[in-house]
Amino acid sequence: MTAAGREADPIEERIEDRIEDPIEDYVAALAVALHGPARIKARMVAEIRDGLADAAAAHTGDGVPYHRAAGQAVREFGAVGELVPSCQRELTIAQTRHTARAVALTIPFLIACWCLIWIAGHDWRLPDPAQSPAAQLSGVTAVAVLLAAMFAATGALVRRLSTPRRLPLAVAWSGTTTGVAMGVSTLALVTVSALTTNWPLTACVGVLAAVSHAIMAASARACRRCSRLPIM
Amino acid sequence: MRADAVRGHLDGLLLAVLESGPLHGYAIIAAVQQRSGGTLEMRTGTIYPALNRLERLGLLHGSWQSVGERRRRCYQLTDAGRRTLATERTAWQEFTTAIGSVLNPVASPRPTT
Repeated sequence: MTAAGREADPIEERIEDRIEDPIEDYVAALAVALHGPARIKARMVAEIRDGLADAAAAHTGDGVPYHRAAGQAVREFGAVGELVPSCQRELTIAQTRHTARAVALTIPFLIACWCLIWIAGHDWRLPDPAQSPAAQLSGVTAVAVLLAAMFAATGALVRRLSTPRRLPLAVAWSGTTTGVAMGVSTLALVTVSALTTNWPLTACVGVLAAVSHAIMAASARACRRCSRLPIM
Repeated sequence: MRADAVRGHLDGLLLAVLESGPLHGYAIIAAVQQRSGGTLEMRTGTIYPALNRLERLGLLHGSWQSVGERRRRCYQLTDAGRRTLATERTAWQEFTTAIGSVLNPVASPRPTT
């Protein structure tokens, strides 16, 4: 059969449609433009893809060919640039909550690390880094209050107020500071483990401190990036 | 009605169409357009971040459910969402009454001097 005489194969047409699918192009552009916690971003993008697929299906149900229906669904949806700021706002708030939670979990561990360094180095007179129980308790309380305020400013308690615009940046730098402190703790624990007799415990805590530093630094970096992006 | 005018009332519209039961994103869009007779201009994409925001605020509860052949994220009103919807309705009634009384003044007897 010659090419001119060949009838259009529905399967081939479908494959061609899929090669340049307006919905997949739209979703890919959206996924590139958005930044935030991977799971929440994936859920948001999947839901948007479903919405576009539903809209296209409604048009194909009216007899419109798939490619044209998908294009129409995308046009009705609005340009990627219009949608990104409001989607990014939710992702930035989600990232802020993640980083605040990471700081909340890391700071007690940080204090425990410094207690261990002090105890391990006590016999060779390490300077006391404000290790009194009162100082530790007030530090933990201050952090708890700060983090409770951060959660309140991003969650269900803020129905009638808007989330402070600078909050993501404040949380990002709190996370960065905590990450740096964990890095310093790691180095101190490695040094102390070389000097103390109870080195296995100190070395283990040092490894945990290094892991905490890596997690905290990654979360803080993501939060700093999100806080710089335009939101609606 | 223009899209920017609709945007200010989007939360109330979304809560209202979910009052009768859980719906997924596209069904919510279809319900809004059906109830308005297609007169509300809106970029349909804007409802997804709005639904996410309402869920974060505790006004909606979202969950993945099997609808037809696919899994879709469905939303339903929470108790807080129902209270917020009632507040939105009251505020809207007061607003339209106030604006209506200015645009369409009812002839009232002039006070005698």
